[in-house]
Amino acid sequence: MVDLSPLSGAIEKGDREKAVQLTAEALSAGAKPQDIIIHGLQSGMGAVGEKFSSGEYFLPDMLMAARAMKAALEVLKPSLEKTGIPTIGKVVIGTVEGDMHDIGKNVVATFLSGSGFEVFDLGNNVPEKKFVDEVRQKKPDILGLSALLTTTMPVMGRVIKGLDVAGLRSSVKVIVGGAPVTQDYANFIGADAYAHDGGQAIPVCKQLLGK
Amino acid sequence: MTIEGNSEKPDLTPRRRFLANLMGGRKGKRLSVSNPTHVVCLELLNQVGVHFPDAHLDARQMAELAAAGYEILGFDTVMPEFSVQQEAAALDCEVSWGSDTMMPEILTHPVKDVSDVVIPENFLEKPSIRVVLDAISILRHEYGDRVAIIGKVMGPWTLCYHMVGVEDFLLMTVLEPDKVTALLDAYIPVTVAFANAQLRAGADVVTLPDHATGTMVSPKTYEKFLVPLHHKMLPQIGGPTILHCCGKCLDRVHLIITEGYDAWHFEWINDPKKTVEAARGEISLLGGINTFDCLLRGTPEDVYEQARYNIEAGVDSIGPECAIALETPIANLKAIVAAAEEGY
Repeated sequence: MVDLSPLSGAIEKGDREKAVQLTAEALSAGAKPQDIIIHGLQSGMGAVGEKFSSGEYFLPDMLMAARAMKAALEVLKPSLEKTGIPTIGKVVIGTVEGDMHDIGKNVVATFLSGSGFEVFDLGNNVPEKKFVDEVRQKKPDILGLSALLTTTMPVMGRVIKGLDVAGLRSSVKVIVGGAPVTQDYANFIGADAYAHDGGQAIPVCKQLLGK
Repeated sequence: MTIEGNSEKPDLTPRRRFLANLMGGRKGKRLSVSNPTHVVCLELLNQVGVHFPDAHLDARQMAELAAAGYEILGFDTVMPEFSVQQEAAALDCEVSWGSDTMMPEILTHPVKDVSDVVIPENFLEKPSIRVVLDAISILRHEYGDRVAIIGKVMGPWTLCYHMVGVEDFLLMTVLEPDKVTALLDAYIPVTVAFANAQLRAGADVVTLPDHATGTMVSPKTYEKFLVPLHHKMLPQIGGPTILHCCGKCLDRVHLIITEGYDAWHFEWINDPKKTVEAARGEISLLGGINTFDCLLRGTPEDVYEQARYNIEAGVDSIGPECAIALETPIANLKAIVAAAEEGY
């Protein structure tokens, strides 16, 4: 059994080169891609998320960890395509219209990918209609909405109303986030869940799917 | 011969009230209400009959909308710049100037290295810079000593976010710290030139947003990059300055008070009482009223409560903690003034 704790440590420290090296070594030593993801990458991400939530880590640390994780996932990609690892859920995510901020959303998207979710990232400044159309076409389990400005936060509520009008609201769980967003605001606009930061988003999304 | 008249000593003008509070000076009958970041909302836009994007690009409309903060809301200050993109536009970033319901956004980030930094010689004549200077001049000419004029200039850290891109720049702070220092030094002349030009045009004080806030960077990073940056920069600015640094910052107040700013525009999330204690009287404190849960979603009674809490905590001048949401009701903004008018 390959010891994946050094890989978890590399993700936690945001050491991209080490993460790539250890991922390749684990594969060569016969570790299954799924085990590498769970015990190496997700374990590291979990530690990063906890440190961010506790105030020990800041955004640059999250970015470094996401960078290391992305690189490790690239190493795993050919093996994942061969083995066809089942995803635990499908997520459509984007920053709402009028808002070009996407760092937090990018970190969450990377962490979700590394956690076994199939992620469709719509980018930033995404119109309400696009979110609704993507939910209709892709039938995701979760729709993630991000807003970083108090001026764009109300757009999240409009997207949720748009899903309702389109008859799609009950087909998808909506999670909202972004620096000014609060649990109270998430309740106010009728979201199913709220995540304060990238660290929280993973367990909250898993909880939404009962996993 | 006796001259009949009002024997009561007149209170300070709004301008003098604010300046006294800014510099920790003589107290008038009440605290000032100020807006180091802009205060504009849809109701004000409709009442004044000025709209975006025009008010970002036309000096007369910019001045008229800024004046509404004093004429309609009753604030003691006016602040004519409604975006944070004026410098980036002058430095050749593509900027979308938005609308009444959408704030401006920077669409391109052309700088990857110090060698990419280009500061045009005619920077102060660029349209997005000139409009602010002309608006300040209009306001000073029209209001004289009546109301304080606050200018606004992005600090070099924020300029780097705009020119490099936030994600790339934050990664640089870990991977290429020497490049970060070089970039910050390269942009000091932009901040200094624009700040001094605004003071010459008639601004009483300049707000410098340098967004090294709680979640973005650690106190260690603030100490490593922002403190030396501000020490280098502030002596070159010929007038009072306000640092605008939002988010959780109690962990870096001990650094902020060493930098040389006259005031810090802070957020409600830093309990005003704890902030006053941490500031130790070494910097004036402005702001403190929450823009989202209180000013946007709350009632005038909620606003009154937060305003009084700030006043009783010893904050020097109260107002919104940051730029307000466009849907903020005027009634809530007026509630700040009503709370201040009750006195200390």
